[in-house]
Amino acid sequence: MRVAMMKTLAPLLMTVLPLSSLWAAESKPPLTAEQREQRAEFNYKMFCRGCHGPAGEGEKAVPHMNGFVGHFLKFDAGRDYLVQVPGSANAALNDEQLTEALNWIVLNISGDSLPENFKPYTVEEVARLRQDPLFEAFEFRKKLLNDMLQQGIIKELPDQPLK
Amino acid sequence: MSIFDKLFEKTARSAAQKGSRRGFIRGLGAALVGAGSIPLLPVARAADGGQQLPQDNRLPQDSEAGDPASCDYWRYCAVDGFLCECCGGTYNTCPPGTEMSPITWIGTCRNPVDGRNYVISYNDCCGTTQCGSCLCQRDEGDRPLYRADKSNDVNWCLGANSSVYHCSTAIVVGLAFEQ
Repeated sequence: MRVAMMKTLAPLLMTVLPLSSLWAAESKPPLTAEQREQRAEFNYKMFCRGCHGPAGEGEKAVPHMNGFVGHFLKFDAGRDYLVQVPGSANAALNDEQLTEALNWIVLNISGDSLPENFKPYTVEEVARLRQDPLFEAFEFRKKLLNDMLQQGIIKELPDQPLK
Repeated sequence: MSIFDKLFEKTARSAAQKGSRRGFIRGLGAALVGAGSIPLLPVARAADGGQQLPQDNRLPQDSEAGDPASCDYWRYCAVDGFLCECCGGTYNTCPPGTEMSPITWIGTCRNPVDGRNYVISYNDCCGTTQCGSCLCQRDEGDRPLYRADKSNDVNWCLGANSSVYHCSTAIVVGLAFEQ
């Protein structure tokens, strides 16, 4: 009888135990807003700063973002572009962390270019847009900058990089 | 005589016997010149004040150990090149006559003193021929060239005016986020 019970229990335990450990992993407390901001800043440093610079100032062929990146959020194609640009879409970050990093950049590096009605990117929006990454970003950016100029979002084209 | 008079007399006599007035002036002069020269010390362009982000304040200045001229120093965990510390610069600054590349790759290293991971920016110094001193190759966290932003085999002087590599720095730019 006891042996029979063990025979029944053993597979049951084998099923339940891994499930319970999975449950334990998932029950890790969710990150606080402050921790999310720290993670976003860390990801900026790990995946963006190397080329875009400590404060998004850019260099040579790397676009500057400080005081400018917010202009892209003033029209739909620009908002999509910030997700579809290779540095975003191809980053080794999951959708949640890419969304955090993008919102962090926009809120911390835009300066005066940040539109007053800025709505933070949502994870769903970023997940959808990054499925369709830009293969050619440079000419596309140039086109967007000219669109901005025509729509009166910017008064003149930025110095770099436009070659 | 009051106890205060005795105390001050004793202190004054002792000061007069032990120190000289010129010694005091010498000390004062050294302090003034020393304090004045601190802002003249070379500072990394990449670490310019106005461009620092908030988290950069939490740096391990007071809790680290080791010799920055030695390859096993903790900040060099992913270095592949010559240490600027042995080439006339420091782990934070380029030697005179070279230019720090503003484009670089970034990784993390664990500081053994406080057990925390820090974000390290491996800016190369460029413009004169290879330094040749303190070759250091540790490659921890280095990724193949198809992950160019995490590879130390890229010539990161591509971002500088001259693409000639001289030596490597290892600048702490913040605390790592522990996932």
